[in-house]
Amino acid sequence: MWETHKSFVLAATLVALLAGRTPAQEAELLAVLKSDAGVQEKSDACRKLARVATKDSVPALAALLADEKLSHMARYALESVRDPSVDEALRDALGKVQGSPRLGVIGSLGARRDGKAVEPLGAVVKGSDAAAAQAAARALGCIGTAPAAQALQDALAGAAGATQLAVCEGLFRCAETMSAADQVDAARAIYDRLRGQADMPPQVKSAALRGAILSRKADGIPLLLEAIRGSDHDLANAAVRTAMELSGKEVTDALVAELPKVSPERQGLLITALAIHGQSQVLPAVLKAAQSSDPQLRVLAIRTLKRVGDASCVPALLDAAAEGNSEISPAALESLENLQGKAVDDQVVERLSKAEGKVRLLLIGLAAKRRIAAAVPVLWAAADDKDPAVRVAAVAGLGAVLDTAQLPKLLARLAATNDKQEAAALDQAIRDIGQRAADREAVAAQIAAALSGADGAVKARILDALAAIGGAKALETVAAAARSDNEEFRDAAYQELGQWTSADAAPVLLDLHKAATDQKLKTRAIRAYIRIARQFDMPADQRAAMCRTALDAAERDTDKRLVLEVLLRYPSDEMQAIALDAAKNPALKDEAMLVVMGLASKGINRAELGKALAQAGHQQVKLEIVKAEYGAGNKIKDVTDILRKFAKNYRVIFLPGANYNDTLGDPADGVVKQLKIKYKIDGKDGEVTFAENAMIVLPMPK
Amino acid sequence: MPDKSSFSRRRFLKSAAGAGALVAAPQIIPSTVLGKDGAVAPSDRIVVGGIGIQGRGMHDLQWIMSKPGVQFVAICDLQKKQRLAVKAFVDQKNGNQDCAMYPEINEFLAARPDIDAVLIATGDRWHALASILSMRAKKDVYTEKPSCMTIAEGRAVVETARRYGRVYQTGTQRLSEPNHVFCIEMARTGRLGKIHTAYAHIAPWDAAEMRHDWLPAVPEPPKEEVDWNAWLGSCPWRPYNPSYVAGGWRGFYDFHTSCIGEWGAHTFAQAQAGLDCGESSPIEYEYVANDSGDGMVTHFANGVKMVLSRGNKYWSGSCGERFDGTDGWAAAADGYDQPAVSSPSLLNEFKQVIGEYVARTGRSLDHMQNFLDCVRTRERTVANPEVMHHSMTTVHAANICMWLKRSLKFDPVKEEFVNDDEANRLRSRAMREPYVY
Repeated sequence: MWETHKSFVLAATLVALLAGRTPAQEAELLAVLKSDAGVQEKSDACRKLARVATKDSVPALAALLADEKLSHMARYALESVRDPSVDEALRDALGKVQGSPRLGVIGSLGARRDGKAVEPLGAVVKGSDAAAAQAAARALGCIGTAPAAQALQDALAGAAGATQLAVCEGLFRCAETMSAADQVDAARAIYDRLRGQADMPPQVKSAALRGAILSRKADGIPLLLEAIRGSDHDLANAAVRTAMELSGKEVTDALVAELPKVSPERQGLLITALAIHGQSQVLPAVLKAAQSSDPQLRVLAIRTLKRVGDASCVPALLDAAAEGNSEISPAALESLENLQGKAVDDQVVERLSKAEGKVRLLLIGLAAKRRIAAAVPVLWAAADDKDPAVRVAAVAGLGAVLDTAQLPKLLARLAATNDKQEAAALDQAIRDIGQRAADREAVAAQIAAALSGADGAVKARILDALAAIGGAKALETVAAAARSDNEEFRDAAYQELGQWTSADAAPVLLDLHKAATDQKLKTRAIRAYIRIARQFDMPADQRAAMCRTALDAAERDTDKRLVLEVLLRYPSDEMQAIALDAAKNPALKDEAMLVVMGLASKGINRAELGKALAQAGHQQVKLEIVKAEYGAGNKIKDVTDILRKFAKNYRVIFLPGANYNDTLGDPADGVVKQLKIKYKIDGKDGEVTFAENAMIVLPMPK
Repeated sequence: MPDKSSFSRRRFLKSAAGAGALVAAPQIIPSTVLGKDGAVAPSDRIVVGGIGIQGRGMHDLQWIMSKPGVQFVAICDLQKKQRLAVKAFVDQKNGNQDCAMYPEINEFLAARPDIDAVLIATGDRWHALASILSMRAKKDVYTEKPSCMTIAEGRAVVETARRYGRVYQTGTQRLSEPNHVFCIEMARTGRLGKIHTAYAHIAPWDAAEMRHDWLPAVPEPPKEEVDWNAWLGSCPWRPYNPSYVAGGWRGFYDFHTSCIGEWGAHTFAQAQAGLDCGESSPIEYEYVANDSGDGMVTHFANGVKMVLSRGNKYWSGSCGERFDGTDGWAAAADGYDQPAVSSPSLLNEFKQVIGEYVARTGRSLDHMQNFLDCVRTRERTVANPEVMHHSMTTVHAANICMWLKRSLKFDPVKEEFVNDDEANRLRSRAMREPYVY
């Protein structure tokens, strides 16, 4: 016996050690609880005990259950201890504690599913304390046993208002536990009682109906249909929702059979449920509803066809799409776009070759949206149609369906396309094909080849297509164009490079900047280079290196200032160091120092700011806050004293948090405020106003 | 009484007309839908109220109010400042002074049986409880994420939604965005071959371990201004400090779900959808010895791995996911014009893949519209309670793995860790009275 006991203790200790906790840890935490430590320390101990406590902790924790400040945290620890002494302690407390702690104790008895608590909780649920009764009802629901359910049933007749809802909630919980434990008859009896009681709130009736149907399975179908036919909208909705949870042919058949018997409004609900069941016998009913005289039902049915329809629906949907009705047509088009199956595509192509007018345009758009490869011959023919609207639609469609092998044929149209809309469609089609291509480099080479022989305007469009596709070949081609002697061609290339969508353009732009002799081109190149540093995702060291390079390379101070903005945008030690270096340039000194301080305001080397500024030759100033006011309209607060506390010997003032209100208070609730400061720097008067939460940098007084 | 949630309302037809269309398609939005000129009959509208709206919630508010047939009528917020701000915004949009204000959630829910749906954008600690209380009060729910603080809370949301037949959508909006839908469907339908690994983005700031300290105590403002006890909700009591209320609650264990939950609430749902494990969660979590969980490998019962990734190794942008299969890979993140793929030719199937998804599910590629459609039809949303709960279970289990600094095995059916009592204790937290469900 001793050996067995010793082994158990050793094993338990080992498990505790392996889990990173020890009995000593529990003892230390208990010592905190028993000490004169404050609420925070004791709360913290309880939170830790929730992970490690054993039955040894129960007495100390139970002693806190009546403590208004610590009762919750005692339960926080107790709820997790797997030992019956916890339940005993909670039951004991139920009879002793009052107020909020009592509600908590009731909740914990429920959370622990303490079957022995049913009797006392049953008394509480019938008691005069409404909050306690409601908590007890829910707790009994968590316990979920037959006696718990009986206690709730006993209380039901006398319950009203929020207590009635809580008792019903408890009964639902019991019924669910019983159903899971194969006590379906008992669960069904609860649901039937609740749905049969006339004074129940609508949500209870609906939930009871759901439970009653589900607990009967296929035998619940009559209940389902009764609710669908009935006058109570809540119950009809609940029935349909429940039908969505049921599966099986019997349910589908019953709903299909019911469809023609109910109002159009209910038919809509049924159609949605049938779509979820998704069986083939649903389609005729939905197709019929799609031709209903009731416009609302019709739209819903048309939308549902995309889920349950097939090629047989195409004629009806095309007719509906061509109607031009603002509700019907978009619904039909949406279904036509998404209807699945090759047979649908075949029908679209067949009809496209014969269609005219509005339907033809509609079918071209559909072929494009469905990306029907078989439509290519018809689309090529339509691309040369005499009707410009058809040509535009067809070219756009070709962009959606062609593969790269046919790209040269499309490129060949560039020079011949003069119509503005058609040209835009053609350009977009080329871009679309390129962006879909598996080998974008090959596509870029195809498009670049079209440059030879093209005239100026077409060349610019080709560069635009290359920029959209991107990649090494595209970049190489556009970079070469940027070195062209042809001013128009070169300008178009610079324009594309200025909007390039990947960082690989940076070295090209730097080379262009170095090579250019024209000052305007140099400026365009370096600005585009800085744009990449500012906007693109890249490693921090790469961005910092670009910033240093740009500061060195840029010749105009206005361009260098753009780099300073980049530094401020990506706070880091290195960016601050670059700003400090930039401050050595007299023309940039003020702005660069503001960046240094701005970065400090974002937490970069804030403690070392004074040292850094001194190293940079930045002179400290003698700052005096004369008056500071914060607020809006006539709700103004004098914050002079507060601001003086934070004003040091620099032009920047750091508040403890980003939000002014946290430091200055909030004199105008819900209104955007301003901070107005009168100050002296080195004896000179200054005045400035900041928008709420702006960085506080005081201008040098003149 | 008009049928408030029936499909049949005329406004639904207008709103739903473009619901399944791609986002690039033109939207049919009538100009008179917001009721400003009285053009929409009251029974045509979905009546919406808000609970705790600020920050991201204001974006949601504008989003839902932009939808045809939505009438926003009331704000419940324990902060007077926010009540006034939301009321001012709503009244300005509606051209009246009718937006009602409520400081207390139970009072709000009891007083407004006319409200069909609520928009919940409180801090994380209130998402689940507010959802549960609302659904019990016969409201459908759109809630911001992360939508539960513990595995037990997530389970309670699932059960409540089922019990009362409520429509619920969590704010993992990327599940409805075409680029993400494409990647998910490419993986789910086998177009990338047999999927062996998914990668899911976790937030690149903060850590898995969170703060337990208290900020300095500051005298509480009047309850009318900020109801501090209600703000804490079911979380442990601590003294008031305005920083919490101003958004500084992030990073605290009691209020937040760490860098893993911050983005994992989105990206785990995205990754699990592509793995067809949206309604399950991993069976194993491999501890990684760093601060964040970056690189943690989780294993699903079907043998597929999901790896938590913090940087931009697998995408460029925020909240990304990537699927690696035997025949290729696909990834998406915020800011992508189109998904990133192992071979551009995979994008040839973009339209087809999206079309199949729309045909199969009938869902809008607009997350809020999907919610509103389902309010009318009673269908399940894309980010329904099960999807929320199972992805958040992954979040919580990954956090627990990091906190305990050891690998864990998990039984997704029983929703418990295998042979690890300490981990199981962290599945729930006792709720502070009276903020209990």
